[in-house]
Amino acid sequence: MRKLLAVIRREFIERVRTRAFVLSTLLGPVFISLTLFLPLYLSGRQTAPKRIVILDGTSGGLGARVDSVLRAAHYGTDESPRSKYEVEWVRTTRVEAVQDSLVRSIGLARSTETHPDGVVVLTDQALDSGTLRYLGSNVGSPTDMDALQGSLQAAVLAERLSRANLDPEVVRRASSPIRLEKSKVTAGRLTGESGEASFFLAYVMTFVLYFALLIYGIQVMSSILEEKTSRVVEVLAASLAPFQLMLGKIVGVGAVGLFQLTLWAAAAFCLTTSLGPILGLMHVSPDVAASAPVPSIRLDLLLVFLTFFVLGFFLYAGLYAAVGAMCSSYQDTQQANVPVTMGIVAGFMCMFPILNEPDGTLARVLTMVPFVAPFATPLRYSITPLPLGELLLSMLMTALGVLGVAWLSSRVYRIGILAYGKRPSLRELARWIATG
Amino acid sequence: MPVIALEGVTKRFAGHTAVEGLSLEVPPGGIYGLLGRNGAGKTTTIRMILGILPADEGTVTLLGKSTNQRSLSARVGYLPEERGLYRKMRVLDHLVFLGETKGVARPQARRQSRAWLGRLGLSEWERRKIEELSKGMQQKVQFIGALLHEPELLILDEPFSGLDPISSREMRDTVVEIARQGRTVLFSTHIMEQAERMCDRIAIIAGGRKVLDGSLSDIKREFGTRYVALTFTRNASAAGRVLQDRSLAARVHDYGASAEVELASGATGDALLRALVAADVGLGRFELVEPSLQSIFEAKVGRDSAAPEEPAHA
Repeated sequence: MRKLLAVIRREFIERVRTRAFVLSTLLGPVFISLTLFLPLYLSGRQTAPKRIVILDGTSGGLGARVDSVLRAAHYGTDESPRSKYEVEWVRTTRVEAVQDSLVRSIGLARSTETHPDGVVVLTDQALDSGTLRYLGSNVGSPTDMDALQGSLQAAVLAERLSRANLDPEVVRRASSPIRLEKSKVTAGRLTGESGEASFFLAYVMTFVLYFALLIYGIQVMSSILEEKTSRVVEVLAASLAPFQLMLGKIVGVGAVGLFQLTLWAAAAFCLTTSLGPILGLMHVSPDVAASAPVPSIRLDLLLVFLTFFVLGFFLYAGLYAAVGAMCSSYQDTQQANVPVTMGIVAGFMCMFPILNEPDGTLARVLTMVPFVAPFATPLRYSITPLPLGELLLSMLMTALGVLGVAWLSSRVYRIGILAYGKRPSLRELARWIATG
Repeated sequence: MPVIALEGVTKRFAGHTAVEGLSLEVPPGGIYGLLGRNGAGKTTTIRMILGILPADEGTVTLLGKSTNQRSLSARVGYLPEERGLYRKMRVLDHLVFLGETKGVARPQARRQSRAWLGRLGLSEWERRKIEELSKGMQQKVQFIGALLHEPELLILDEPFSGLDPISSREMRDTVVEIARQGRTVLFSTHIMEQAERMCDRIAIIAGGRKVLDGSLSDIKREFGTRYVALTFTRNASAAGRVLQDRSLAARVHDYGASAEVELASGATGDALLRALVAADVGLGRFELVEPSLQSIFEAKVGRDSAAPEEPAHA
């Protein structure tokens, strides 16, 4: 036991001391900050209103309606609105000619402060056909276009109703926009978490698992390969059983992984709890900060995630260990690790069908397959109420998978670490596993 | 009770037999040499003794234990032929780690490592990384790793290969000192001069089988004084012609200015001396001697007996 601890400690300390570890640990929070703050910062900073010209060739009141709708559109809360648009209403009978001259100035240097960002063209025919034209520099932005279309829709609806001689008050009420507020319910309780936050969490979890299994699994592999090619393993093999050596390696690297993830989680926690003040320093308004998809992490979900992280790590690290032991050079491993890496990629891909239909048959089956369950189960657990029986069965199946992999890998490892030269064929590998 | 006992041990790898029906006994104390050409099965034998490889047939007994020899690692030191250290580790950390894997507590491992580093002149290197050391220094570090836990049995696989003369001597002195303390040293080598100077007992293996074993003095006595050592002062080429006469000399090691000759059966030293004088060869030395280990080895194994190359699995 003392020998095993020595192997684990060496692996942990030597890894944590490396420049690569320090650097990647520091870069983690930087990356988290970027993904967290940058979108908020940018969306909060886009306060410069778009300059829009309403080119009105209609005979009725559509121009006026569009003008007032666009003027009323704003970012932020009703208390502290910031206009989305700076509107100029141009009435003309020569729509085509004016449009041409306006288009020529769209998107030119803003320094003159008079050039428009876009032109909305209103004609009577457009009102009848329902096809309005917008010519602008920002047509590539779906967000901008959705907002604009919504505003125009309301104005056109109101104009049509009013042309049908409806009471103006009825028209106003009929065309007032709605807002959908979404809240997540878990186990019969409102969590106060938005739908976006819940999905955001599911994505983050899956990504973390994917990268952690891949990165730390490959570290186990290359570390075993290094021990083999440098022949250090021969001395160790005289003191420790092969299984102890392999276990020590896997646990050592795994501990480094958990340590790093814990540091990152702590950094993420500090960043999200102080999100408001930090954004305040960046002059982003509080309502933007409040809209950040920061999920509230439940303790039970954290436990499920960690359980499957550990199970998944032992599963894949065991396989990577076998790959490292059977190869004699780094080039060899690049081919030999493909089947293992494919397993991790497959687990990651599970995210899509499961997000589509968290309680579907496919999702249920994936929860029971050891090689993908480490991805599927925490994901399902985070977005849908998972029956306890299914959760336990999934853990059991994965644990069985881990034991199976440990058995297979230790048999390959035992012979592989002292075998140099050509990588074994599948048949030789089978013989390694079969010999007692 | 012997420290190591092998009985009818056989080890096969895919396609070839590395060791076949090998029986050996290494008594406690002294230096035991395991001699053989490259690929004779020395490393495989050592790995089976240590329990790194299981024997296919026969029994291996190490310090009275014939199963799970690995559990005895606290009492055994091992320097493998293929040396290897963690390149990025610091010297002292590395030695402490090696000590720990032998069951030595950290503070003691640290103390012992420092003592040995001092003794082999590496004190100022203890904070450096292994990769900063010269090859000779790395070998010393690995050597310290094999003996810092004060094992009663030290197994060294080709310990002197690739060492400069000074390091080689430092290591030899250490090995001799350990043997004088009553501990046992087993080392393998293909360099006969080395073994001849150091070993009390030897075993010669070829093609995975034992050819000869016993105490070096017994073996030499058994071979008798059928050997003549010669040095030439003049006309060495004529001597070469005389020594080609197979009725006089059965085997010749011609070193140019000197030679070692095994007399042919029926031939006497006198006859050889007369023939040399008749050929007008100037002689600086003519002496009936015990055979050198090199001669014994060649007589037993054969100079040209093809030894298979070290296979990939060995």
